[in-house]
Amino acid sequence: MKYPVIYRLGRFIPHMVLLALVLVFWEVAVARSWVNAFMVPRPTAVFDSFIRLYVTEQTIYRHFAITMTEAVFGFAIGASVGISLAVASAVNETFRRYVSPYAIVLNVTPGLALTPIIIAWFGFGIGSKIALAAVISFFPIFVNTLSGLTNSDPDRNELFRSLGANASQRFWKLQVPSALPITFAGLKIGMTTALIGAVVAEFAQATEGVGVLMQRFSFQLNMASSVAVLLTMSIMGVTLYYAMELLDDRLIFWRKDSGMARVGRRRSARVRALKAGSVVKA
Amino acid sequence: MNAMSNANARSGAHTQQQGDIVIKGEGVGKTFGNGSVVALEGADFEIKRGEFVSLVGPSGCGKSTLLRMVAGLIERSSGKLAVHGDTVKGPRSDVGLMFQRATLLEWRTALDNVLLPTELSRKLTSADYDHAEELLAMVGLQDFTFTFPSQLSGGMQQRVALARLLKTGADILLLDEPFGALDEFTREHLNLELMRIVADVGATTLFVTHNIGEAIFLADKVMVMTPRPGRLARIVDVPFERPRTAELQLTPEFNALVAEVRAVLGDH
Repeated sequence: MKYPVIYRLGRFIPHMVLLALVLVFWEVAVARSWVNAFMVPRPTAVFDSFIRLYVTEQTIYRHFAITMTEAVFGFAIGASVGISLAVASAVNETFRRYVSPYAIVLNVTPGLALTPIIIAWFGFGIGSKIALAAVISFFPIFVNTLSGLTNSDPDRNELFRSLGANASQRFWKLQVPSALPITFAGLKIGMTTALIGAVVAEFAQATEGVGVLMQRFSFQLNMASSVAVLLTMSIMGVTLYYAMELLDDRLIFWRKDSGMARVGRRRSARVRALKAGSVVKA
Repeated sequence: MNAMSNANARSGAHTQQQGDIVIKGEGVGKTFGNGSVVALEGADFEIKRGEFVSLVGPSGCGKSTLLRMVAGLIERSSGKLAVHGDTVKGPRSDVGLMFQRATLLEWRTALDNVLLPTELSRKLTSADYDHAEELLAMVGLQDFTFTFPSQLSGGMQQRVALARLLKTGADILLLDEPFGALDEFTREHLNLELMRIVADVGATTLFVTHNIGEAIFLADKVMVMTPRPGRLARIVDVPFERPRTAELQLTPEFNALVAEVRAVLGDH
């Protein structure tokens, strides 16, 4: 299944060429004053700012760490609450009837509009950033998990019923594994919205974090540095997203041949060990 | 009469229990929507130990409904229905069900899918693993023990489902068009294997299909059902000796029986 390195590199090259062309065009456009250099920084200027932030002055790391912490903690809280409420709603019909209207109202309310209130409640520090990240990452996780848990295949439900499975067996052996793929889709969305929440809360009121840094640069009309910070946010988003993707691939192994081969081998070894063990005991 | 002697021949070990009625329905009916839609009019039938009975008829004749009532998955609206002498009140462990779709759990290996019924009723022992592997070998999948469902063809998935059905230990097997979604060749091949396997384990089998030839070829007795409203129109005995081969389907006697069943269905 694996392609040779050369081949994979070959498929990568057109992308690099295209990107290079765009950057060169952009550079030329600014150099020739087709666009205002003040408003649209040259790619080389952005690169210089990048180097300054990351290498020479190294100012970015503290802010990077702060915002990442806010996003990750916010996500963790949003995910815990979202999954817990979804499980409770899936297991208990009454609970769902009383909770889901509020979840829906929360969803149709623009989450970011809560920013001033959340800052009033949680203060100027990291707490309000985590809270906003949690609030807006909650909903996609809740909705996806709930629909994953409740929409299991009717034929399989009938199978479990005919085999006399009890509610807890049905939950753990059927509903949870069936819900995993869609739950993870929700977690991936939640991860990126958590980052949005953290940055927006920083815009509103904060002393540190990439949001603050970006605001500071744009107030100074230092567009090159602003764009460098924006790229930093992209890096954060991609990092968080791929962390989830990695976990997703690991856990939902049955979507890929390589995953099934890995788990199949492990299972085979375990069954062999189990049988060998029982023979020794006997 | 012939049906009985066939059943006798196949499960000689249980001779003293021969002729036992394991499933008995008297006026078994099902209506939906406060009785406005009749899915099945009162049906009377008896199925003996070790018999292979086909339920044949077009869509809407109530054959799947009848099967699900026997399985205890849906309640009947009228009549009496007993399995092993007990009135059917819900699913029971000595009745196993297999569907048109394999309904395997795709996160489990073939082996773990076969083990599922046992896992749901008690703690697994290493004997269970051996038994599950034997059953996989019985359906010809000994080399696919640790393969996942999505890596298996449709026919192989149904083989796993059949092995899982046998792992339940049920002595009554209810099969709802089990090979209906497969191509003709695979289906024919699996039907032959199914006959061999149920004869091996001596199970009583209820097999739903809409294919008349298949119904007759497999069964000791064919329950012919007609739609609107669903009705058990006639029970036809199949006199052919076992073991049967695919060539049986080319004989005039076989085709005469097909014509007879078709005539019953043709009236509707």
